[in-house]
Amino acid sequence: MRDLLIPTLVLFPMAAAGAALVLRGRAWRSAIVGLVALVLVGSAALLASNGLLRYSPGPLTRFDWNRLVVLADGVLLVWFLALAWTRRHLGALALALAQAAGYVVLEVRFGERLRVQSNFAVDWLAIAMVLLVSVLGSAIALYALEYMDEHERHHGVSPSRQPRFFALILLFLGAMNGLVLSNNLAWTYLFWEITTLCCVLLIGHDGTPEAVASSNRALWMNLVGGCAFLAAMLMLASAQPVGEPMSVSELVRGPTPYLAPVALLCLAGFTKAAQMPFQGWLLGAMVAPTPVSALLHSSTMVKAGVYLVIRLAPAMQDTGLSNVVALVGAFTFVATAMLAISQRNAKRVLAYSTISNLGLIIACAGLNTAMAVSAAVMLLLFHAVSKALLFLAAGAIEQRLGTREIERMESLVLRMPFTTMLTVLGVLTMLLPPFGVLVSKWAALESAAREPVAMVLFVMGSAFTVVFWVRWVGRLVAVEPGQEPELKESIPPLFLWPMVGIAFVAVALSLLVTQVMLRFVAPVVASYMELGSQGFQATVSDLESRVGSFPILGLTLSLLIALALALLLASSRRRQAVPYLCGEPPMEGPTLAARAGGDEPAPIRVSGTYLDRYFSEDRHSLWMTAAASLLLVAMLGVASL
Amino acid sequence: MSIVDTVLRLLLAVVVAPWVGMLLVGLDRKLSARLQGRVGPPLTQPFYDLVKLLAKQGDTTSRFQTACLALFLASNVVSLALVLMGGDLLVMLFVLAFGAVAYIVGGFSAKSPYSQLGTQRELLQLLTYEPLLVFLAVGIYLRTGSFLASAAFSHAEPLLPEMPVFVLTLIAVFGIKLRKSPFDIASSPHHGHQEVVRGPLSEVAGPSLALVELAHWYEVVLLVALASLLWASPIWAGALVGLGCLLASIVVDNVAARLTWSWMLRFGWLVAVPASILNLIYLYATRGGGG
Repeated sequence: MRDLLIPTLVLFPMAAAGAALVLRGRAWRSAIVGLVALVLVGSAALLASNGLLRYSPGPLTRFDWNRLVVLADGVLLVWFLALAWTRRHLGALALALAQAAGYVVLEVRFGERLRVQSNFAVDWLAIAMVLLVSVLGSAIALYALEYMDEHERHHGVSPSRQPRFFALILLFLGAMNGLVLSNNLAWTYLFWEITTLCCVLLIGHDGTPEAVASSNRALWMNLVGGCAFLAAMLMLASAQPVGEPMSVSELVRGPTPYLAPVALLCLAGFTKAAQMPFQGWLLGAMVAPTPVSALLHSSTMVKAGVYLVIRLAPAMQDTGLSNVVALVGAFTFVATAMLAISQRNAKRVLAYSTISNLGLIIACAGLNTAMAVSAAVMLLLFHAVSKALLFLAAGAIEQRLGTREIERMESLVLRMPFTTMLTVLGVLTMLLPPFGVLVSKWAALESAAREPVAMVLFVMGSAFTVVFWVRWVGRLVAVEPGQEPELKESIPPLFLWPMVGIAFVAVALSLLVTQVMLRFVAPVVASYMELGSQGFQATVSDLESRVGSFPILGLTLSLLIALALALLLASSRRRQAVPYLCGEPPMEGPTLAARAGGDEPAPIRVSGTYLDRYFSEDRHSLWMTAAASLLLVAMLGVASL
Repeated sequence: MSIVDTVLRLLLAVVVAPWVGMLLVGLDRKLSARLQGRVGPPLTQPFYDLVKLLAKQGDTTSRFQTACLALFLASNVVSLALVLMGGDLLVMLFVLAFGAVAYIVGGFSAKSPYSQLGTQRELLQLLTYEPLLVFLAVGIYLRTGSFLASAAFSHAEPLLPEMPVFVLTLIAVFGIKLRKSPFDIASSPHHGHQEVVRGPLSEVAGPSLALVELAHWYEVVLLVALASLLWASPIWAGALVGLGCLLASIVVDNVAARLTWSWMLRFGWLVAVPASILNLIYLYATRGGGG
């Protein structure tokens, strides 16, 4: 039974992807997605209850799994070449060619050294990731069933391209599970490249010129990461004549003398996690249907990047490389939080916020103390859940309003009260105590307090973060007089339940943050660090470190009491007053207007402030890209010394 | 900390503190009046104002805003309780930010354009003072080796001589949090200098406004308590530091010229933040046994 778990988690979604391509009916599709959701969630839960595990699939008849991996890699690389060729993208073509050449060298010269005893290794970090992928991924796939019908109706797509869409989504989920469970770098590389392919094809799914352009950008940027990954494998294979050079658990056993491959793997992680200067592909990815964004931003793709960096943390402990990695992450954290302030598009705000949070995770992994790594893992978990909720809500809003503009979402609370509530809840869990993301940020700050540069950057980034979240919520709840609430918001069940489910998980995980710490985070940290160095201690009521303490229980109770008080006060009977307009009575009508001195009624509108003159992309993109590129050069330089 | 001790501190934070805050606000108004050549109201005037507000009819344009203001009040109470119970300063700042966010979201939900406009500015004020307070907490950590307020309270030597810049940033934060010139661009409690109508409070009246006044009392005590961490033993010296900051912000309030939100943002990020960082660099560089 245990032995079947990993193949189920990896291969079942992939097989289902094939089925979704063949069985093209709507009912078949729903059945397949539903079945995959059930199987994935069930297997992930079983995997979690099993705990640590090492596993390698037994040989198929006459066929070695390693051969299959090589074959699949070959197919993938040819696919990338074909993709770059048909799209006439020279950069991508060059990168794909380089990768193909590198891969041939790797196989021909070092083929035997690519073997590892246990091809899969399950630790708590991997289990946490599998749970994220399986639970969030399934919820998003179910949501997509509803979303894509409306999407295709709206765009008049016929015949339906949904079989392709769902096949890619399911393949994506299987590859993600493979990526986090794999203990053989060569296998990880295969899954890594599959996620790139799925991501690129999904971004370009709609086939509009904008979609293709964004897809191309995602292609070449992620191929850069693929090249770095391959170069790292080449270096490892050639540098280590004995042992298992491709074994991940071997590599991260402790500080390694081979820093250069670690740095290259980190670079690969940065491209996938859209860290500056590679942020462009994730920003462009928002042209894709919203379920794709939800998937990319929460549990898959970008999380693969930060997962790899966290995974590698022990290998670079106490090295200059680790410090530079922290700097790269912290810089991205601040820079993208700052740029998010000037964004008017909800999905773009969400995208910048994702990149920013990933930066913080990477920075924590780079700080590489027990506390910092704890913060990184916690943030990875909590951010994924909250961000999935926010994207699903944004998708529901977008389909209803036909826009992603924050300004057009004004007074949404009257039109879509329930969805607005979920959105606000999502922001709340991203931003405020006692919810998980904030607890993680607290952990990050406390762990950075001894590192002046990281600390200053963390503080600044946190301040920027508040502005863009609060402004969005502010627009949602801003109500104009005369606007009547709609009686009932009808939400399709496949929108409603995934959103409600994820919202529930977000709140429950936050309430159980001490349990999350004990169950998932502490074992990871324990396996990373020297004996005795502990990040945080979790008691029933508090999360404690050497330097501080977060009273989870006390704050949660306070919040509940405060909410009860607030509801009580707000529900007491009040007379409705007219808004103050400097003495002018407001005019009747759907929009707020006043008559100034007998003239025509002048409509009154106040929009959000976006501080373009301080934070616009035009103003900052260039120097930020330059600075981030310099940091990357520094990173590679430090590693090769 | 024993149960009795905990309960006593909780009572101090929840029950005693607002009275102290009320007197401080009364003092503020009295002093401001004297600076402006007026006699000013009696010291306990804020209390009578509160009673009066509570007795008023509760007309409102946004019940949601009332709920937000209740959260604002609650977060100020919890923040103060956290400090007095020796809790984590960073956590306290996050709780304080919760209240600020609730206040702002409430302001956005109100229908008057003045409320909208003032709330935008309130958001910028948050952006200005938040990093300053976190830097203060980090500075305290660097000397005491802990983010817990209890560690600062029991620290034998005064922190102030090594953290002079933070007194200045605290005066700025006092100004912003207590809505004083030159930082009263969003709303000002009693005498407007440069706010637009009453900013986020344009649509707030009667009992809802009473919530804000009460929250304000807690806020004053909280800020004084924060400043007092800089000279925590003997505690009367700390109290003097806190009162000194309060007085300084009152004086600044009455002499400051009319300024704009962009001036404030630039002041915060180009003067106060770099100055704080410089002071932190000094603390890092001379990190002694404590930090």
